[in-house]
Amino acid sequence: MAAGRRVKIWHYLLAVVLLCVIVLAIYVVHLDRIVTTQFEGRRWTLPAQVYAAPQELYAGEDLSAPDLEHELQRLQYRRVDHLDRPGSYSRQGDHFQVSLRATRFSDEARAAMVLNVASSGAGITALTDITGKDVAIARLEPLLIGSIFPIHGEDRIVVTPAQVPPMLPAALKAVEDRNFDSHLGIDPLGVLRALWVDARSGQLEQGGSTLTQQLVKNYFLDSRRTAGRKLREAIMAVLLEVHFSKTDIMTAYINEIQLGQDGDRAIRGFGLASQFYFGKPLVELDVAQVATLVAVARGPSYYDPRRHPDRALKRRNVVLGLMAEQKIIPAADAQEAEAKPLGVMGRGSGGYYPAYLDLVRRTLRRDYREQDLTEAGLTVFTNLEPRTQELAEKILERELTRLDHLHKNNKGAPLEGSVVVTAPQSGDVTAVIGGREAGFDGFDRALDARRPIGSLVKPFVYLAAIETGRYNPASIIQDIPVDIKIPGSPDWQPENFEHDINGPIPMVKGLARSLNLATINLGMDIGLDTVRHSLQRFGIEEDPPRIPSLLLGTFGLTPLDVAQLYTGLANGGFKTNLRAVSAVLAADGKALKAFNLDVAPVAQPDAVFAVQMMMEQVIQRGTGVAAQSILPTGIVVAGKSGTSSDLRDSWFAGFSGNAVAVVWVGYDDDRVTGLTGSAGALGVWDRLLTAIGPTSVSSVMPESLHPVSIDFKTGYLPAPNCSPDPVTVYVPLSFTPPEAPAGCTVFGAKPEPSLLDKAGKWIQGITH
Amino acid sequence: MDPGDYALRVYSLLAFGLVATQLSGCVIFREPVETTASPGEPVSAAPGTPGQPTSPYPAPPATAVPAPQPGQPPAATAPPAATRQFHLGTAATALVAQAHRQSGSGDTQSAISSIERALRIEPDNPLLWIELGEIHESAGHYDQAAGMGHKALQLATGDPRAQSASWHLIADALKARGRNGEAAEAQHRADELGVQ
Repeated sequence: MAAGRRVKIWHYLLAVVLLCVIVLAIYVVHLDRIVTTQFEGRRWTLPAQVYAAPQELYAGEDLSAPDLEHELQRLQYRRVDHLDRPGSYSRQGDHFQVSLRATRFSDEARAAMVLNVASSGAGITALTDITGKDVAIARLEPLLIGSIFPIHGEDRIVVTPAQVPPMLPAALKAVEDRNFDSHLGIDPLGVLRALWVDARSGQLEQGGSTLTQQLVKNYFLDSRRTAGRKLREAIMAVLLEVHFSKTDIMTAYINEIQLGQDGDRAIRGFGLASQFYFGKPLVELDVAQVATLVAVARGPSYYDPRRHPDRALKRRNVVLGLMAEQKIIPAADAQEAEAKPLGVMGRGSGGYYPAYLDLVRRTLRRDYREQDLTEAGLTVFTNLEPRTQELAEKILERELTRLDHLHKNNKGAPLEGSVVVTAPQSGDVTAVIGGREAGFDGFDRALDARRPIGSLVKPFVYLAAIETGRYNPASIIQDIPVDIKIPGSPDWQPENFEHDINGPIPMVKGLARSLNLATINLGMDIGLDTVRHSLQRFGIEEDPPRIPSLLLGTFGLTPLDVAQLYTGLANGGFKTNLRAVSAVLAADGKALKAFNLDVAPVAQPDAVFAVQMMMEQVIQRGTGVAAQSILPTGIVVAGKSGTSSDLRDSWFAGFSGNAVAVVWVGYDDDRVTGLTGSAGALGVWDRLLTAIGPTSVSSVMPESLHPVSIDFKTGYLPAPNCSPDPVTVYVPLSFTPPEAPAGCTVFGAKPEPSLLDKAGKWIQGITH
Repeated sequence: MDPGDYALRVYSLLAFGLVATQLSGCVIFREPVETTASPGEPVSAAPGTPGQPTSPYPAPPATAVPAPQPGQPPAATAPPAATRQFHLGTAATALVAQAHRQSGSGDTQSAISSIERALRIEPDNPLLWIELGEIHESAGHYDQAAGMGHKALQLATGDPRAQSASWHLIADALKARGRNGEAAEAQHRADELGVQ
């Protein structure tokens, strides 16, 4: 009996053990499926990679030698004495020899090639290939400006083994996992040795888990630390080793591991970390920089080289010591590297344009599922011009600092601002700045701050008026008080900014001086719907409310909305939808979608031309006159200031022949800035246009118009004895301005203003 | 003022304007016009004559100056003389040639990209807008083609050959859309400007 019972117990035990084995086997098979399908199917998700517009090179181009060199350096070209591999260049005086990298553009793939570029002070004079044959046009590779990662998600730049400096895997093995090449995913001896080393040195020098385990932890598991999870990690590590080669696992590790956090964005993989900390491709890092990244891999927040540089530096030198000990680098190199500073870039210093990426993301979301953008490895080509973007960032920051200082703003948050720049004829968005800290991925004012546009609306009132056929820039309009009855509200009795009343004036003065009363009288005469219709045609997203105050721009628009409207004006009355994205390619290089140029006439070209010329007068003698001391002599540009009520928002929008720029300055909490459009935003706008290198507004006078000279104050033909202030306006061929009456009175009403008055007016012109 | 009375006055002003133009035969350019940084500098020469464009633009409110009525023969009949002639720069010429090759081998999208590249270099050159419009036209994008024809026309002021080509493009796009009356009128303008 007793023996039989013992046998039975054994049977039970055996059954239990068998059951355990079966359960474990099922568990292993389950994990195996996870490992193989997830790891093999898509080893890691690929956020869409986003590129700037490539720099074109051609003879006759206005690109000086220093500018060309700057563009090459932006793309991390190395200057060498003798040209070697792609990605290098040599320079003798103004002659460059450039070894262009192979690259994929939106419309073609280009093999690596050598290009000779001869330039003078002014620009490129000749372009030849290696045989000396003329090249009509060539382009540099587009700059990688970022990627589209999920919200609260992972961002990475995937690197292939060829893009990894050999010392990186060697260093990782030396520091994290010495038996990597021989173990089967787990390394019990390694754990013991690590414990021993750490105990002896009294600090955490070596880790216990293998690189494979770390990869599993990063790739498949959450961050809870439980015994069950540890077991799962170990099993999956072994499974990974069974299915995949060491090279595959190392490559995966290098692309997978977390190396930092930037707000919501997890910095994954060494490829992105290299850009994030050093601003250049991984393959170009030196020993000290590689060691820094290996140090950060141990604990990206504990060894954050920006927040804890001392810790990171100490750990880096431990890594360098281990690299020398393992004969990966000579001891002398290690010593030399140990003496170097960390050399990490400041946060947001160049190369990262969150506001622009925001616009790209929103454009693409109309056509693609979020998952495709963040995982499918798309390549996105944009119209961003890094040079313009960087100039705009720098100028906005500098001007806001100056304004804060000037107005002794030391209570509350500092002034904020945003900028949008487009190309007038194509609608290409070339720069977007969402705030003062342009590299900070926060509130994007260019896209999301909807603020009253003030007088920026006025050109559309004047355009609508001219389009009726009843007005031209020399027509007399009334700058006199208005009293508008609004049912259920007190009467509306707005005033001019200077509380002045100018009586009958030519239309050109109303716009140039941004006179509220004249504009309201004009707008009420042609009707609110006529004005609203004009705004709609130029592409406003939401109709402004049908109330008289719309004539003074009391409705809110974002800087991007304003850029859409003003691009249409700059483009001679043709609407082109603003384009941030130019093309999208699939992971295999196939073109998926092109955002082609499209123009549609939305206004009478002669009316638009007349308005453009009046907007030039804004700069010549109106609210934008301060720009003249900044802009290059002889360059004619057009613009308009905008100021919301109580000086909360300061706007300036306008264009040269090659750029449309919209600038907003104000506080996030809508506090009073004390700044008019002329005192705030104009200072950014004129400096930005100047830095871009403006060409004059290039519009050609339509055959239906002719230029006439009138007195700016009265609208009469300038009479020599009436001390006229002549201004050229463009009117229908049939129109001739009236001659000034004897005695030089303003339509019999107002005597000639005194010199003192004129001086006062001139100062007003500067200050608002 | 009575609206009819007003319209009459506008008409007479317009007529006067047209006569005045004919008499003076004069086109004034605001300043020498340049095509951006391009070696293909337009050549200024003798005065030209206006071609009053039909209005492709949204109908202005009721009080607007009436556009020339469709069907009416265009007002300007004196043979226009060129005041300038547009050319393409070297880079743009190469890109247009490339676009023609791409278009010929059926790769419309690449052809469009090539012309758009050229337009970034010479955005004010009507010849490029015409090229782009023609590619869109042959790809069946008639609205785009018409838009580009009108844009080209705006830039082509003073260059009858470019103006003629612009009208031709507009005519083709209108015809493809079945708007035969307007197409015929546009074609008439193209032919008239294309005589010399």
